[in-house]
Amino acid sequence: MSRAAPNPAVLSRLYLDAVLPCLEDLAAQDPNARAIMGNTRASIALSILGGPKAVVSFDRGRIACSATSNDMPSLNLLFYTQGHLNAFFAGAKWALPLPIWGGWRIDLMIRFAKLAARLEAVLNGHAEVLATPEGRRLYARLSLIAAGLGLAPLAQGDAEAIRTLRTLPPGLAAFRIEGEPNSTVWFDYGANQHASGWSTPPRRPDVSIVFGSLGLAYAAMRDEADTMAAIGAGEMTIEGLIPLADGLNVVMERLRIYLQPAVTK
Amino acid sequence: MNTTDNRFKRSQELFARAAEVIPWGIYGHASPVASLPGAFPYYAERAKGCQYWDVDGNEYIDYLCGYGPMILGHQHPEVEEAAARQQRDALCLNHPGPVMVELAEKLVSLVEFSAWAVFGKNGSDMTAWAMQVAREHTKRRKILKVSESYHGIAPAWTPGHGGLIEEDRVHIHDFDWNDLESFETCLKQHRGDVAAVIMTPFHHPAFKASQMPAPGFWQHIEAACRKEGIVLILDDIRAGFRLNLHGSHKVFGFEPDLICFCKALANGHALSATLGRKELRVAASKVFLTGSFWNSAPAMAASMACLNIMEREDVVTVLRHRGDALMNGLIALGQKHGYEMVATGPPALPFPVFVQDPDLRRQQRFCGEVTRRGALFHPHHNWFLSMAHEASHINATLAMADEAFALMKREGV
Repeated sequence: MSRAAPNPAVLSRLYLDAVLPCLEDLAAQDPNARAIMGNTRASIALSILGGPKAVVSFDRGRIACSATSNDMPSLNLLFYTQGHLNAFFAGAKWALPLPIWGGWRIDLMIRFAKLAARLEAVLNGHAEVLATPEGRRLYARLSLIAAGLGLAPLAQGDAEAIRTLRTLPPGLAAFRIEGEPNSTVWFDYGANQHASGWSTPPRRPDVSIVFGSLGLAYAAMRDEADTMAAIGAGEMTIEGLIPLADGLNVVMERLRIYLQPAVTK
Repeated sequence: MNTTDNRFKRSQELFARAAEVIPWGIYGHASPVASLPGAFPYYAERAKGCQYWDVDGNEYIDYLCGYGPMILGHQHPEVEEAAARQQRDALCLNHPGPVMVELAEKLVSLVEFSAWAVFGKNGSDMTAWAMQVAREHTKRRKILKVSESYHGIAPAWTPGHGGLIEEDRVHIHDFDWNDLESFETCLKQHRGDVAAVIMTPFHHPAFKASQMPAPGFWQHIEAACRKEGIVLILDDIRAGFRLNLHGSHKVFGFEPDLICFCKALANGHALSATLGRKELRVAASKVFLTGSFWNSAPAMAASMACLNIMEREDVVTVLRHRGDALMNGLIALGQKHGYEMVATGPPALPFPVFVQDPDLRRQQRFCGEVTRRGALFHPHHNWFLSMAHEASHINATLAMADEAFALMKREGV
């Protein structure tokens, strides 16, 4: 129950490395998102002056996110500071980025804004999203992906997370939802560096955390599940290096602290 | 439970009901989360000697002994008779019974450095109280403890994560086991404000190999505490009476200022105790201590009987020999099948682990297979021997382990 204040640098990495990549799955799973994109083929780069960046590529209904791109983006959005980017993602109207290239792509900007709003509605669990089984499915999938991908930024910069991680054995943890294709998200906690991904893990996980059903995953992501009871009942399995899973759960709790301001805005 | 067989049908049914009305279903150290869901029973029904039966009728040789308390074995007749006799007179009175005085005298006579004793019901009662006594005595705030050590469920050191605030641990500081540099750094950082150092006699972190103290480790800690006026608390709750009847410090050649006992103190009856030096008597008298059932006499009568039997039967020597037999047998069997195991911890509280097993899967599979065959081996927590474990039980257990190793070898685990 740590209330230590979020680190703005970590928050901006969370937006770029954990939240934005959720657009990929949003596009894959959500007809609404695909309708917003239409047949758009374009890319948007979001970068912080002198800092990290992310490139979101649209290709006729599919989305790919990466940290870099060899191609010139269709739209290049610059944020002056981490705080500027954080405010933008938190919905502050004053925090519009500077379009340093492609400012005339008004249509693209509008589509991106709508997609971002759809993503926010899903990740923040807006009532209209959670009202349908498909919306709850989206919420569970995307929340798990964001939580898993968020582990690396937290591990790299959040003092509270770093303190917790120091007590954990190194290893690779993989999380997935049973029956949900492409739902595996992993985090490799190494002695010197950490990595996370939403894909097949690069090696056999040291610990595998499997939510036995979408319903359980949904409840867990909402912090509404007694996961300990679920494990006892066989509705959830943790297999392998249990202390790593236990500790990562604590680190993931920090994600709520970071992303909560967007929810309460 | 993710088991496909029917061995745990009743356990499953009970757990399903429990999950409706009890957080975790089963909480704490007995939670399925900490063991092996599907390979371990969840609910037990009865026990005798070193064996017990789960609610589905499966029989186990018990190497957890109730996580420690059953040092003489389950349902020891002399202990049970002493408790029952006391209970026939009274269970819970307005006042302590004479047995409380007798037990305090008995314990003080057993533990040489001690001049007084108090009683509680659980280990956590005692460690939390001992911390307060140390603070009262020294008028200092800081408590030093070993990283990953377990001293109960007080917010100061619970291994749980929920419900804690930063302030709970502002004055609790960790150093590493067997690392005197780490200890000295910690001590230097808080010099003049350290009330106590609290430690277990050997290090037994969950999910990891146990570690015995390096030569000179305890002596260095003891000397530093004496020099700095720090209260040295020995948390002997887990190991107490299994290593030495007079306190585990006797094995390692040092003397604490306070010693906390629980588990084996009354062979399964709920009782804990803290004993202390004469110099801490006044501080102890200033720290309030009570609980709803803390004067209940039957557990104290059970403890008197238990202590007398342990003295009479030389429990420490017996447990050491039986633990050695089990560990040596397991390691030899492992070698026979191509597995390198190492015995960690003292023989009476052993914890064998595989040398090449970073993700614990080998340990988990081995313990699961032996448990399936009828000897309960916990994969993540040290084991306990009891007086009721005889050579025949050890041999039967080794036969099960032989089968488990063979199966693992066949399956390439």
